Amino acid sequence: MSKQVSTAIISALVPGLGQFLLGERYRGSGILIGFLLILATTLWYGQPLWYLSPLSIWLWNVWDAFHLALGRRHSVLLPLAFGLAAAYGIGWQVVEIDFSRANMERAIAILRPMTRPDFIQPRRELNQMWVPVEVPCSSQPPAARRDEGGRAAFVMPDCGRVSETLIVSVSGLWPNTATDIYWQTPIGNSLMLGEGEITMLTLPTDENGALTTTIRVPTTALVAAPDPTLPQFHRVYFEQSRPIGGYELSFIGSEVLKGALATVSMALMATGLAVLFAVPLSFLAARNLMSGNPLTYAIYLIVRTLLNILRSIESLIIAIVFVVIVGLGPFAGMLALALHSVAALGKLYSEVIEGIDPGPIEAIRATGANWLQVVRYAVIPQIIPPFTAFTIYRWDINVRSATVIGLVGGGGIGFLLIELIRVNNMRGVSAVFIAIAAIVIVLDYFSAKLRERLV
Amino acid sequence: MLRIQNVSKTYPNGTQALKNVSFDVADGEFLVVIGLSGSGKSTLLRCINRLIEPTEGKIVWDDVDITTASPAELRQIRRKIGMVFQQFNLVKRSSVLTNVLSGRLGYANPWASLLGIWPQEDKQRAMQALERVGIAEKAHSRADALSGGQQQRVGIARALMQDPKLILADEPVASLDPVLSHSILQYLEQLNKDGITVICSLHFLDLVHRYATRVVALKDGVKVFEGTPNEIDRAKFKEIYGEEAQEVRAASL
Amino acid sequence: MPLPRLLRNTLITALVIAAFVISYRVTEADFPRLLRDLPKGRELLTAFLTPDIVQRDLETRTISIAFPIPCGSAAVEDSPPSQGPRLVPGVNCAAPLEKFTLEGFDLQPNSEVVIRWRLPNERTMTAIRTQTDAKGYFRQEVQARPIQATVNGIPSRLEVDTLTPVGGLKPSQALKDVMDNMFVTIFMALLSTTLATLIAAPLSFLAASNITRKGCIGTAVYYAFRSFFNLMRSYDPLVMATVFGFWLSFGPFPGFLALTVVTIASLGKLFSEAVENIDPGPVEALQAVGAPSLHTVRYAVVPQVIPDFVSYIIYHWDINVRISTIIGFVGGGGIGYYLNLSINDFKWNQAGTAIWAIVIVVWMMDFLSAEVRKRLT
Ligand SMILES: Nc1ncnc2c1ncn2[C@@H]1O[C@H](COP(=O)(O)OP(=O)(O)O)[C@@H](O)[C@H]1O
Ligand SMILES: [Mg+2]
Repeated sequence: MSKQVSTAIISALVPGLGQFLLGERYRGSGILIGFLLILATTLWYGQPLWYLSPLSIWLWNVWDAFHLALGRRHSVLLPLAFGLAAAYGIGWQVVEIDFSRANMERAIAILRPMTRPDFIQPRRELNQMWVPVEVPCSSQPPAARRDEGGRAAFVMPDCGRVSETLIVSVSGLWPNTATDIYWQTPIGNSLMLGEGEITMLTLPTDENGALTTTIRVPTTALVAAPDPTLPQFHRVYFEQSRPIGGYELSFIGSEVLKGALATVSMALMATGLAVLFAVPLSFLAARNLMSGNPLTYAIYLIVRTLLNILRSIESLIIAIVFVVIVGLGPFAGMLALALHSVAALGKLYSEVIEGIDPGPIEAIRATGANWLQVVRYAVIPQIIPPFTAFTIYRWDINVRSATVIGLVGGGGIGFLLIELIRVNNMRGVSAVFIAIAAIVIVLDYFSAKLRERLV
Repeated sequence: MLRIQNVSKTYPNGTQALKNVSFDVADGEFLVVIGLSGSGKSTLLRCINRLIEPTEGKIVWDDVDITTASPAELRQIRRKIGMVFQQFNLVKRSSVLTNVLSGRLGYANPWASLLGIWPQEDKQRAMQALERVGIAEKAHSRADALSGGQQQRVGIARALMQDPKLILADEPVASLDPVLSHSILQYLEQLNKDGITVICSLHFLDLVHRYATRVVALKDGVKVFEGTPNEIDRAKFKEIYGEEAQEVRAASL
Repeated sequence: MPLPRLLRNTLITALVIAAFVISYRVTEADFPRLLRDLPKGRELLTAFLTPDIVQRDLETRTISIAFPIPCGSAAVEDSPPSQGPRLVPGVNCAAPLEKFTLEGFDLQPNSEVVIRWRLPNERTMTAIRTQTDAKGYFRQEVQARPIQATVNGIPSRLEVDTLTPVGGLKPSQALKDVMDNMFVTIFMALLSTTLATLIAAPLSFLAASNITRKGCIGTAVYYAFRSFFNLMRSYDPLVMATVFGFWLSFGPFPGFLALTVVTIASLGKLFSEAVENIDPGPVEALQAVGAPSLHTVRYAVVPQVIPDFVSYIIYHWDINVRISTIIGFVGGGGIGYYLNLSINDFKWNQAGTAIWAIVIVVWMMDFLSAEVRKRLT
């Protein structure tokens, strides 16, 4: 049997083996690994079409082995293309990419409020009036009317059932001003009275400050009531507001500021705490210091491995554990950032220690200095600048991470973000986005400046 | 015929690199521009093909005003002017052949060349150009695998691809040792004999004497001398290079 | 030390201390609580260290007896056989809310036992779990409830499943799910890095000062792209994913998009810096040749930036794998989503499996990308 046929057969049995035996070690093992990888992936995500890819690679491999035995080398571009085609095809399917889901109307509905971030608001004064109304009716409902500070409001009839139409009237409010009318249940839930009970009912008062309209008792008025047959007092609210000049921080705005402060604080505390632990640990994780005897070497190995494992677990995952231990809030987030930073900084620091120049140590030792003096004059001057640079770099990363650690309950601005998204407050979300960009860009700038001055 | 008329250049930072420089270059000349470093040689050469826009003055080449050419016209003019650089300006990671072929970009089909497809004719021309400078066997090496002298020869081959009528050489040998300098300048001399006008800036006076048919000297952006190499005597030299340049002259002459 | 410098240093120290004091209060740091509650973490940690990797098949056997509530509402079961698997309640029937003991004899030994009621309408309720001993015996207190009362003369039945592990060990469901989700994660990183590269590579030229910053329009374009990159880069992909998730509802797709957007910005910035750092010589040479500007970029700039580009792409692919492991926490799909579900269901061992998978994959990517980049340079 000729050599090329036998090589081709060997490669047909074990892809790449023929090439390997011809002395093409890299090519052979590359083909085998690539083939197995693609095969495993297609088997796992079985869709008949993708089996073409490992099949084509296998065919190519036999052909290649045949030609290689003849001394002809071909480019590996072709099997690479087969592999990539399968990878992207499967990926497309697995990641459920579906651009038709990208609903532009919804995008606009989300983006439009984001153009008006809820940060500051014009200062306004409020004019509020309410009137009690019994739902459902008791046998002797009290009069549904109320007077206060020159304003009067009443409901006709005095009580109602769910979905029943009532006449409400108010007088003595500001004239010619838009007035929000809404329902409040006995446990304090506010319900809207507009179209479909999902919009606010807003009407203007007349020139005398009076207003009369009909409303329907909201269908959800009794949802949370302990006993729907028990008559209870609900309230109908009338609310007006008007600007009185100037601006003030809105409620969301102040929450965003608090969140921003908590975020920066978390990063600062975490970095500080991490440095405290990472510095001693880094000495234990420095190979050149610890490889002296088996015991210290064992310590080195353990510390190194622990640091490596911790480093590959994102701080977000660590945060979940701390949320379980110490509860929701910035403390949990801070601890998670600190723990992850200890691992990351410990590794960087220990590499600095491993890389110090032995020259100065020798020189100082030659002057007859003792151990402490050697550390003080030959080691510390060498490690302080890189340690500081790495610490600032870490603080930079921590600020970024702190913005998301709240997403799992770790406090800070991320927590606010997820709450705002949950209640569909896109103006607030926009304010959070602005705050995050401001924090990150400003701190980026300063830490870059600081590092520049250090080196 | 190239006429440089009252050309001045002021850089945006206020440096006046050229002050009212005028001279003519007849077809077939080997004109050498000399001057101290910073005297404006590079600026002058780059004004000719408008890699640098002159602030004032006119440059007319064969009755075409280069200084007022539109971008499209300028490209037409540039492809007739080859340029050779001190630092070779090759794409180091591309092959020698690709570097040479890129000299043809002013002529090539824009779409095919964007995809890296070249007509057979251009490839043959490139191989011929490489043969002419004696490194045809290196065509498929990466440019940075070549020595400095070889890279400069690639630079010349790239200029040849343009089928130029004029070659601008900005200190083509300043980064090379003296032996290589001669070999490079000999190639330029050969091209000059074949009918291509050469304008070359140089540093060393012995090279000037050996290759130039005419010399223009700049000092602080002002033309201080124009004539044959033999006219540069001790006094002229001092005027161009300054008093303290004695030693250099001794060394280079 | 001269006085002004001393003053300055004191001031800086004071500021740093103040910053830490404020941070300490803002983060509500409570270290005593951490120490006190640390044992809570022990349970988690042990669960994480014993990930759910293998399982054995369970064989289920079911026996049942009729149990009338209240007494007399239906016929009671004949007295059970004295041998073989059997259920023996302490009483034959019971009034509502009465408690009684249920014993099982000669069932499968050392098995998990699930006790439940099968109501007259065939629905089941109230599963109690216990364990048989080595002889196949169990004993459990059960309460009769009004809802389990006899209907139309049909009594509820007490059903007992014994679950016995049989056969060899095999990969657990959790392991399979983790692999499934890991695939999603890796592909999410692959696809987003690829798409981001395809978009960022051309855009980066627009944000490179040496290419674009010419004339009025050029400068405007340059600043526009530069600021776009800088702004988008400042967001963590997870922050982006919250909004994309809100827009596109949950799943890997919004996570993929969020990752892509942030990667475009980040790669765009890195790429444009690579473009700015090229040797300008070849560009000049090609301009002198009379090449159109697009060709100048193609022949003088692109070949120079390719190694940097490739290195940045691999670096980012590494980062993106890391991020896509957690993007699921905000609804982005993949292993993070699975981990989040496991944790919310208090399935710590399952979470442990996911965490180990993440550690292994991140390590592998770290190693691979470092190797490849070493080769490149
Ligand atoms: N891009 C530039 N911007 C500002 N000044 C420049 C620039 N290029 C050159 N110069 C200045 O112009 C003068 C002439 O430079 P150049 O033409 O390079 O001289 P030469 O090539 O003779 O050494 C020098 O003073 C130099 O510093
Ligand atoms: Mg120069």
